Amino acid sequence: MTVWPLKFRECGDGEFLLTDDTGGFFLSRQPFLERYAAGELSLVDQEFLRGNGHAFGREGDPDWTAFAYRWAQRQASQQELSYVILVPTLRCNLSCGYCQVSRAPETARGFDWTEATLNATLGFIEAMKGPQIKVEFQGGEPLLRIDLLEKVRSFVRTRFPGSQFVVCTNLQRLGNREWAFLDQEDTFVSTSLDGDQDTHQRQRTHDDLATDTFYKNLAEAVKRLGPGKVSALPTIDVDEPPDFGELVGNFERYGVHSIYLRPINHQGFARRRGSHPSSIAKWNTLHSGFIDYLIERNHRTGGFVEEYYFSQCLRRFLRSGADDHVDLRNPNFFASDYIVIDHDGQFYPTDEARMLSRIGRVDLSIGSVAAGIDQAKVQLLNHASFNNFDPDCIHCAYQPFCGTDVVDDLSRNGRIDLARTDTWFCRRHMSIFDKIVEVIRRSDEAARKSVAKWARVPSWGDHMIPVHA
Amino acid sequence: MGSRTVVGRSHDPCARVIPLRLKVDTDAIDPYVVRLRSFEGMPQPPDNCGFLDAALETADGETALFAGATGNLRVFGVDPSELDGDIVFVVPSRKTAHRLIRASSPHNTLLITERCDQLCVMCSQPPKKQHVNMFPFFETAVLLAPENSTIGLSGGEPTLFKSELFDFLRETMARRHDIDFHILTNAQHFGRADLAELRDLDLSRILWGVPVYSSAGAIHDQIVGKQGAFEQVRKNLSVLCEAGARIELRTVLMKPNAPGLLDLAKFVAVTLPFTDTWAIMQLENIGYGRQNWGSLFFDSSLGFDLVGKALDFAVSRGINTKLYNFPLCTVPADYRVFAPSTISDWKRAYVADCADCDLRTECGGFFEWHPKAHGYGRFGVA
Repeated sequence: MTVWPLKFRECGDGEFLLTDDTGGFFLSRQPFLERYAAGELSLVDQEFLRGNGHAFGREGDPDWTAFAYRWAQRQASQQELSYVILVPTLRCNLSCGYCQVSRAPETARGFDWTEATLNATLGFIEAMKGPQIKVEFQGGEPLLRIDLLEKVRSFVRTRFPGSQFVVCTNLQRLGNREWAFLDQEDTFVSTSLDGDQDTHQRQRTHDDLATDTFYKNLAEAVKRLGPGKVSALPTIDVDEPPDFGELVGNFERYGVHSIYLRPINHQGFARRRGSHPSSIAKWNTLHSGFIDYLIERNHRTGGFVEEYYFSQCLRRFLRSGADDHVDLRNPNFFASDYIVIDHDGQFYPTDEARMLSRIGRVDLSIGSVAAGIDQAKVQLLNHASFNNFDPDCIHCAYQPFCGTDVVDDLSRNGRIDLARTDTWFCRRHMSIFDKIVEVIRRSDEAARKSVAKWARVPSWGDHMIPVHA
Repeated sequence: MGSRTVVGRSHDPCARVIPLRLKVDTDAIDPYVVRLRSFEGMPQPPDNCGFLDAALETADGETALFAGATGNLRVFGVDPSELDGDIVFVVPSRKTAHRLIRASSPHNTLLITERCDQLCVMCSQPPKKQHVNMFPFFETAVLLAPENSTIGLSGGEPTLFKSELFDFLRETMARRHDIDFHILTNAQHFGRADLAELRDLDLSRILWGVPVYSSAGAIHDQIVGKQGAFEQVRKNLSVLCEAGARIELRTVLMKPNAPGLLDLAKFVAVTLPFTDTWAIMQLENIGYGRQNWGSLFFDSSLGFDLVGKALDFAVSRGINTKLYNFPLCTVPADYRVFAPSTISDWKRAYVADCADCDLRTECGGFFEWHPKAHGYGRFGVA
């Protein structure tokens, strides 16, 4: 019998988490670890390892094939291009201190698509395979160019019936024409809601009138379009976080139960504010506290709220195939299933890459609608867009669940060849997966209820985690 | 699940619901396959009304006369409008026509053989020794089938006639690109030597339904009545995986295997991760299942914990897990989303307690032949 390589991480109370490259896992203790390391596995050990999928008899036997299959399933497979993020204008009618995307003043010139860019973009979309595609309008504030949005949508509807549209808007200024655009079956709204009223005003709207307008429009959008059509994200300043209770209550009020807590990004204008070395530790503490808060709150209210990214990571921990979130999958090949088209017609692999290029840190554009995709550059980025052979990741118990983020490394460190453990990405995800291992092992009713909901299973308990004594 | 269109069977419990065997009269001597067209309610005859069609000529209260290149066919006792598009197998000597494919039903299954090399304790259709080769007739029937049909192939054990089965699949799939197959097989008869032939088929259009009852070999072997069956099915599921086949695992829940269901869930997640669907199925009260009801029927309404834990585990690991043939009220609310209505239209029934039930429209109810004393201790509490 051959045992596939196991990696381990201590998870408290003398217990160890052991994982293999397919993401198979179990809990055990020091004596087993010593037997494993010394090559002195007992018959009981061997039987357990075989049964839990960590060993095989000979190459090609059913255990070997099943392992190979599970490993392959763990890898995100490259998809057809089916998702475009469009930035028809960089102009915006808000000026948020942390602006994620960089923006131009509302009255500025030269920050909108030209007629030629519009036509080239439509030509690019027309060449996509379909049959259905998703179009996300970003900005700036995209509704400032409602005319361009209308043209794109009607073109896409004709070419790819059944497609979806998402408008990422600050919901500040909506006239009849804007409402008519949003109020359509195939169109969804994504907005920012930074927790409680004070925080939202401090970070985004700056004065009472603009804040009131936003809340009024958000309420109207939920009412008019239906709660399933409006999603919202809070951007969190780790030094001035909103009150958790008010934040969750605010989201629940607008029918949003999945909250994606995002740290203020290190790109765009936000970068200018700098990032203190301890900020990742602070973020991890805050995020972990938020998870505990949700468990307690869900138990108390009988409701169900999740932190979107934590649930996503939990599902990645448990099973393969949770590759629908483009920020965390492995490999994460660029310009494969989605691409960003900026206000000047430049292609970017991600929205973050676009911001990073805009502030002049590094040019991550990968071609333009006029010239096409620069495959050489895409390949250069793709060389580093998976964690399988990273000299640090290969020792990590969380490797099969995790990913990598070239753009984030470049943004924060200007290079990608750092020790993983020195990167924001690694430290953030180590913390998330540690938290996952903590909460799935909790035996109290409150944790079990939330974990079951977040993992999308009817109930959670001891039977869900293999343990080897 | 897989309904069975019955050919050459003496007892036909289905006849009480929708008749699958028709009384007929014909001039022909040899058996043949024909598609019946009554054109009722249709704007115009379909353009593929070829030489294998028989069109309705006359009808009165008792008899309908269909005529075509295959001769005249008189059908008794059925409203001919219900037969439009049906493909029937006419056996003149017995004055019967079997509805091989009912155009109005999504559940059509062809019985390849009644032979089987296993003898499952709950077999709904106990095997017989004799075999009649129906492949030529089935081939014709599939070519005439309605567009985009899924055709079930069952038995007995269809792969006892593996080379004929492969020929049949290759031929019909090449000529009808719109048709999918759902094949129920014990997977005892594949080997690595079949890989080439399997890969030659468009495997995206075939779902292989394979029973696995326990992760403990001895229990599985005992249930299927064959020594070594577990090791064989394990090996051959692996072969099917290598070929790229789509697999539906089928586990009939019974007293002997219920306690090991969580272990089976782990086994499926770890060893059979290529499973498309894992169906945990309540027992059908028919065939040996009826004979052995007392020792087999597991009351999942009271012992749902065993089922629930297995389902939790499998779902968490990404296995698409379903509960088939479970009346919804016997399933705790959080698990109902995994219990689709699966009992085919022609064999579904409800009991008196179901009359006012809110869940009835989503519930599959019971098999028509399920005893009215249904055996669930916790029932009707939806």
